[in-house]
Amino acid sequence: MSDRPHLADLLNRRTFLNRSGVGLGAAALGSMLGREAAGTPGAEGGGLPGFPHLPAKAKRVIFLCMAGGPSHLETFDYKPKLDELHDKPMPESFTAGQPLAQLQGQQLKVQGHLTKFRRHGKSGQLVSDFLPWTAKLADDICIVRSMVTEQINHDPAHTFMNTGTAISGHPSMGAWVNYGLGCETENLPGFVVLTSVGGRNPQPIASRQWSAGFLPSRYQGVEFNSTGDPVHYVANPEGVSRAGQRRLIDAVQGLDRHRNAQVHDPEIETRIAAYEMAFRMQASVPELVDLSDEPRHILDMYGAQPGDGSYASNCLLARRLAERGTRFIHLYHRGWDHHGGLEKYMGICCGLTDRPTWALLTDLKQRGMLDDTLVIWGGEFGRTPMFQGKGGPGRDHHIKGFSMWAAGAGVRGGITYGATDELGYNAVEDAVHVRDLHATMLHLLGVDHERFSVQHQGLDSRLTGVEPARVVGDILA
Amino acid sequence: MFLRCILSGLPLILATSVARAADEIDFNRDIRPLLSQNCFACHGPDDHDRKGKLRLDTEAGSRKAIEPGDPAASEAMARILSDDPDEVMPPRKTGKKMKPEEVELLRRWIAGGAEYAEPWAYVAPQKHAVPTAVGDGWAENWIDAFLLDRWAREGVDPAPDADPVTLARRLHFDLTGLPPAPEAVERLAASDDPAADYRRLVDGLLASDHFGERMAVYWLDLVRFADTVGYHGDQDHNISPYRDYVIDAFNRNLPFDQFTREQLAGDLLEDPTVDQQVATGYNRLLQTSHEGGVQPKEYLAIYAADRMRNLSGVWMGGTLGCAQCHDHKYDPYTSRDFYAMSAFFADVDEAQHFKVGNNALPTKRPPEIKVLSRRDRELLAKLEATEPRSAEVEKQIAAVRARERLTMVTVSIDPRETQVLPRGNWLDDSGEVVAPAVPAFLGALDTGGERATRLDLADWLTDTGGGVGGLTARVFANRFWYLFFGEGISASLADFGGQGVPPVHPELLDNLAVEFYEGGWDVKRLVRLLVTSRAYRLSSVPPPELLRRDPANKLFARQSRYRLAAEMVRDNALAVGGLLNLELGGASAKPYQPEGYYRHLNFPPRKYQQHDDARQYRRGLYVHWQRQFLHPMLKAMDAPSREECTARRPRSNTPVASMVLLNDPSFVAAARGFAARIVEEGGATRRERLDFACRAALSRPPDDEERRILGGLLPAGGGAGEGGEAWVPVARALMNCSEFNTRN
Repeated sequence: MSDRPHLADLLNRRTFLNRSGVGLGAAALGSMLGREAAGTPGAEGGGLPGFPHLPAKAKRVIFLCMAGGPSHLETFDYKPKLDELHDKPMPESFTAGQPLAQLQGQQLKVQGHLTKFRRHGKSGQLVSDFLPWTAKLADDICIVRSMVTEQINHDPAHTFMNTGTAISGHPSMGAWVNYGLGCETENLPGFVVLTSVGGRNPQPIASRQWSAGFLPSRYQGVEFNSTGDPVHYVANPEGVSRAGQRRLIDAVQGLDRHRNAQVHDPEIETRIAAYEMAFRMQASVPELVDLSDEPRHILDMYGAQPGDGSYASNCLLARRLAERGTRFIHLYHRGWDHHGGLEKYMGICCGLTDRPTWALLTDLKQRGMLDDTLVIWGGEFGRTPMFQGKGGPGRDHHIKGFSMWAAGAGVRGGITYGATDELGYNAVEDAVHVRDLHATMLHLLGVDHERFSVQHQGLDSRLTGVEPARVVGDILA
Repeated sequence: MFLRCILSGLPLILATSVARAADEIDFNRDIRPLLSQNCFACHGPDDHDRKGKLRLDTEAGSRKAIEPGDPAASEAMARILSDDPDEVMPPRKTGKKMKPEEVELLRRWIAGGAEYAEPWAYVAPQKHAVPTAVGDGWAENWIDAFLLDRWAREGVDPAPDADPVTLARRLHFDLTGLPPAPEAVERLAASDDPAADYRRLVDGLLASDHFGERMAVYWLDLVRFADTVGYHGDQDHNISPYRDYVIDAFNRNLPFDQFTREQLAGDLLEDPTVDQQVATGYNRLLQTSHEGGVQPKEYLAIYAADRMRNLSGVWMGGTLGCAQCHDHKYDPYTSRDFYAMSAFFADVDEAQHFKVGNNALPTKRPPEIKVLSRRDRELLAKLEATEPRSAEVEKQIAAVRARERLTMVTVSIDPRETQVLPRGNWLDDSGEVVAPAVPAFLGALDTGGERATRLDLADWLTDTGGGVGGLTARVFANRFWYLFFGEGISASLADFGGQGVPPVHPELLDNLAVEFYEGGWDVKRLVRLLVTSRAYRLSSVPPPELLRRDPANKLFARQSRYRLAAEMVRDNALAVGGLLNLELGGASAKPYQPEGYYRHLNFPPRKYQQHDDARQYRRGLYVHWQRQFLHPMLKAMDAPSREECTARRPRSNTPVASMVLLNDPSFVAAARGFAARIVEEGGATRRERLDFACRAALSRPPDDEERRILGGLLPAGGGAGEGGEAWVPVARALMNCSEFNTRN
C-alpha cells in the first residue's frame, strides 16, 4: 500500500465522480483536487489525461486464466523428439542447475506426449486432440509457444502474471487498465473476476490476484459469486423492498445534504453519489447475471446452465459484461495442476473449458465485438517435459517455455509465434516474457507501457516493471 | 512565491497554495526532491545503472555537470533546457519533464552556489527554541507555539475551536476507537471548567483498556499481523497472543524502546519473561508458504526480503526492500546493506516449518509456545493462592487454563550463512558472504568482534547517541501526529528517503521526536501532549479564507475530517446497536461473512465457521484476519490485507462500502438492535424517541430538518405503542449517514 498522501484518496474521489454520472459542479470537483488538477480529469470515462497514448485496437480485455498451469506439451507445442525419448533419462544439459518444484532431488525422465496433434484450419496450426473446439479457432488465434515466466510456484507465479512482480502489494493488470483508461460503464465495476472449478485438486487463488495494490481501492477487481449474492451485499436486507431501499437512501442522502450545508465537505458529495451508484448496482448486477433473456441456442452454444457457476456460464457472463462496458474481465478456471493423472484431468479441464472458450470467441465474432475485444488464454506457467507420477503420468511446474494464445482486437490470427527447443524445455526462439505480454496487451489498448507509471515507494512503478519489455510487433495485425 | 507540491511525478498533482515565508532556497525542501524525481534513477547512488559516470546525489559528484554560481556554464542546465530530443534531460522516454518553474528554481539554486545538505531524515533531530509569546494566551502547549509562529508568518488564521460535542466524539474515537457515551459528551458540553474537564477526559481515556486496542490497530497494520500464512493455502497459524501483547504493551505504557527490543529480540534478553517471548512473534509475522514443492533456499530468500521490507518500513521509515536486487536508486542503501541487515535474522529458526509445516488448520509453525495472557496469568496466580480452594475456585482455575493458546515465537539457532544475492537471484551463489551489519552510511555497531545480534540491532534502532534512535523517534512522532491530526508533518509516513516528502514543519517534528525519546519513549505522554494542544481541538470546518489559502491543510490550522477506520465503523454500529462485545484480548473471532467467501482456498478446502455466540460481536480488531480473503466488510472500508507494512490506509468512498453499510447482515442486526433500544429506552412519543436516537447515534439532538427526514421514514399515523420494527428504517438511516461514520 502506498504511504503517499492523498493520491489514493483523490483518485478515489475523482474517478468515482467522473464515472458516477451524478452531476457535480466543477467547483466541487476543483476544491477536491486542488486548483491544478481541476481542469485536467479526462472527461470521457475518467481515464488519465492523455490516455490512450496511441490509437487503441482493443477497448477491453477478457483474460481466460487456466489456473494451475496447463501443459503446453498437451495443447499447442508438438515435439517429435519428446516421444522418441519417452521414458529415457532427461538429458542433464537441460536441467542442470535449473529450479524444480516437486521434482527436486528425483530421477528425471522424459515423458512423451500424452495426446496426438493435428493441423487445423487454413493456417494449419497444430492443436492437440484435447482441444477439438479450440482447433476450430485455429485461424483466429495467435499461438505463442515461447512464453517465459520467473516464478515456479502457483501463488507467486499468478502474482507475477497478474502484477508483473512476485512482491505483494502491486496492482493487478485489470486495475492498471481501468486506472489508465477509465471505465465505460456507470452501473457495473470496470474490473470483474469470475471463477470456476473442475479438474485436479484446485490450487487456491488469492484475492490479491485482483487487488488494486497501491492504486486506489476503487480499481480493485470485483469478484462475482456464482452462489448467494452475485456481488457481496448487493441484495437488500430481508423484508426490504426496492421502494423501501429507495426511501432509505433518499433519507440518508437528505441527512448528508443537510449536514453538508453546514460543513461544506466535498467528500460528502462523493458519498451521496456513491449511495446512488450502489442503488443502481443493486439492480444492474442481478440483471447482468440473470441469463433468462438469453435464447436457448446461445445457452446451448456455450453449454451454460444458468446459475451453475461453470466456466461455460462465466464465458457467457464475460460476453454480457463486455457488452455493458466492463473494461477487464478475468476468468479463472482452477484445475490445471496436473502433477499426475494428466490424461484424465486434461480430459476433464478441456471438457469443461474448450467448447465455452470457442463459444465465447464465436459469439463475440458474430456480434462484431471480437474486433475490439482482446482475448488471452493461458496459465501461470507450463509443465515439464519430464515425467511426474502422482497417480498416473503427469508433469511438474515449468517456467522456461510454455504456450499461451491471444485473439481479437489487433492480433494476427492463424499464426504461431516463437518456439521452444526440441524437448519443449527452453523458449529458444522469440522468447516472450510475461512483461512482454503486458507491454503488448497495453499497446493494443493504446497505452505505451513505458509512459504508464505510478510512484510507489519513490519508484516509478509500472506493470511491466523495471527490466526492458518489448511490444511483440510480429503478432500484431 | 508558492511552494510547489513535491509529488510532481504523480499524474495528478495536488496543488498547494501555501505561501513560503522566505524566498531562500532550502536544498532538502526544494532541490533534492527535484533531483531525486528527475535525475537520480540514472545519476544517483546506484552505480550499476549510472549513466555518463555522473552522480547528482552528492555535491562532489555533481560538480561534473554543475558549476556553482554559474548556471549558464553548467552542463546540467544546458541539457535540461536543450531542444534536441537526443540531448534533453530527463530523457524523453522516461516520460519525465521538468516544469518551467522547477527549472527556474534549479537555476536559482545553482546561481546561489549549488550547496547541498545532508538528507533531512538522516540528520539527528535537534531541539529548537520554542517560538515565544504569540497568540495572546491562545496556545495550550508548545506545539501551538510552533504552529502559531508559522501561521503568523504565513498570514493564516486558524479555524475556531471545535464545539464540545464534536471534540468529545473526536477524542473518543481517536483514543479508544469507540463512540462516547452520551453522558460523557453532555458532561463536557455543560462543564463549568471545560479545560479541566477536557484534561480529565483525556486522562480517563488514556487509562482505558480501549486505548491499547486502538493503538494496536495501527501497530498491527505496520507489522502486518494476520491470522494466516498468506501464501498458497493461506492456512491459519498461531499468533493471537502476540496481539494481546501489543494491546497490553500500549495499555501499560511500555516504553517504546523496550517495546522494540522485546519484539525484535525478546528471546535474547536475560531470563526473558513470557511476554518477552510472545513479543518475538514479531519475527514470525511474515508471509510463509507451505506449498508442496517450495524450495527452502528460495523461500529463505523471500522471507529475508520480507523481513527487510518490514523492519526498515516500520522503524526506519526506509525502503530498504528496494536494495534486494540493486543498490537503492534514491537513498544511500546498498545491496550489501540489504543482505547484511538481513543477516541479523539468520538465527531465526526457520527450518522447522519447512519440515513439519503442513495443510492442517492451523498449520504447524514451530517454534511455538503455549501461553496465557498477562492478565490471565495474574488471575491464575491469585486463584491458585486462594485458601481454601473451593470447587468454585477450581472451576475458575480450569476456566482460565482453558484459555491457553499456542503462539509462534523466535528461537535463536546457529545462524545460516548470508550471502549477497546478485540481482536478488537465489540461484546465484557467487555473492559475498556477509555478517550482520547496519547500513554503512548510518554507522557501524561496535560488538567487540562478536557477531552482532538482533538485540544489538534493536538497541541501535533506539539509541539516540550511537544509533538511529533520533530517526526512529522522528518516524513515530510523525506517525502519532498523523493518527491525531489526519496527516503526517511529513506526508510520506513510510519513506523518509530522498523520494519522501520533507516535513512541512521540520522544527516541530524535531521537537516532538526529541520530546518522545527524552521523555523516556513514553507513548502516552506524547499522545497526551498532542491531544491537549489547542491545534488538536480546532474545528475541522475551514473558514473560507483558510480553505483558499491552504486547501490541503498543510499548515494544520484546522483539524481533519475523514471516515472512521474499518474497525471503528464496525464497532461504532455495534455499540450503538447495543450488541458490541467489549471483552479484552483473546483468540480471533469469526463474525458473519458471506457464504462461500473462502471457496477459492484449498489445502485444505475451507469452510468458514462463524461464531454464533458472544464472539459474533467482538470488536473489529479481533476479527479473524485471513490475508488472502480479508473479511469483505473490513476490505470495503480499506483495511489492508497485511501482506506488507501499512503506515497509511487509503480512505475510499465507494458504492461497495455503501452496500456494506446498507445491507451487510451485521449492520442490519445493529440497526435492529438500535431500533429496539429506541423503543425501549427512548421514551413514549415519537419526538422523544427521535431525540434519543440522535443522541445515541450522533451525541446531539436532531434539528427540525433531521426530524422531518427521519420522521418521514416512520409509518403514517403510528405513534405510541409502535414496535421496534417501525423504527428500523430510522436506525438504518442514522447508521448510514456521513456524520455517524466520520471522525469530525
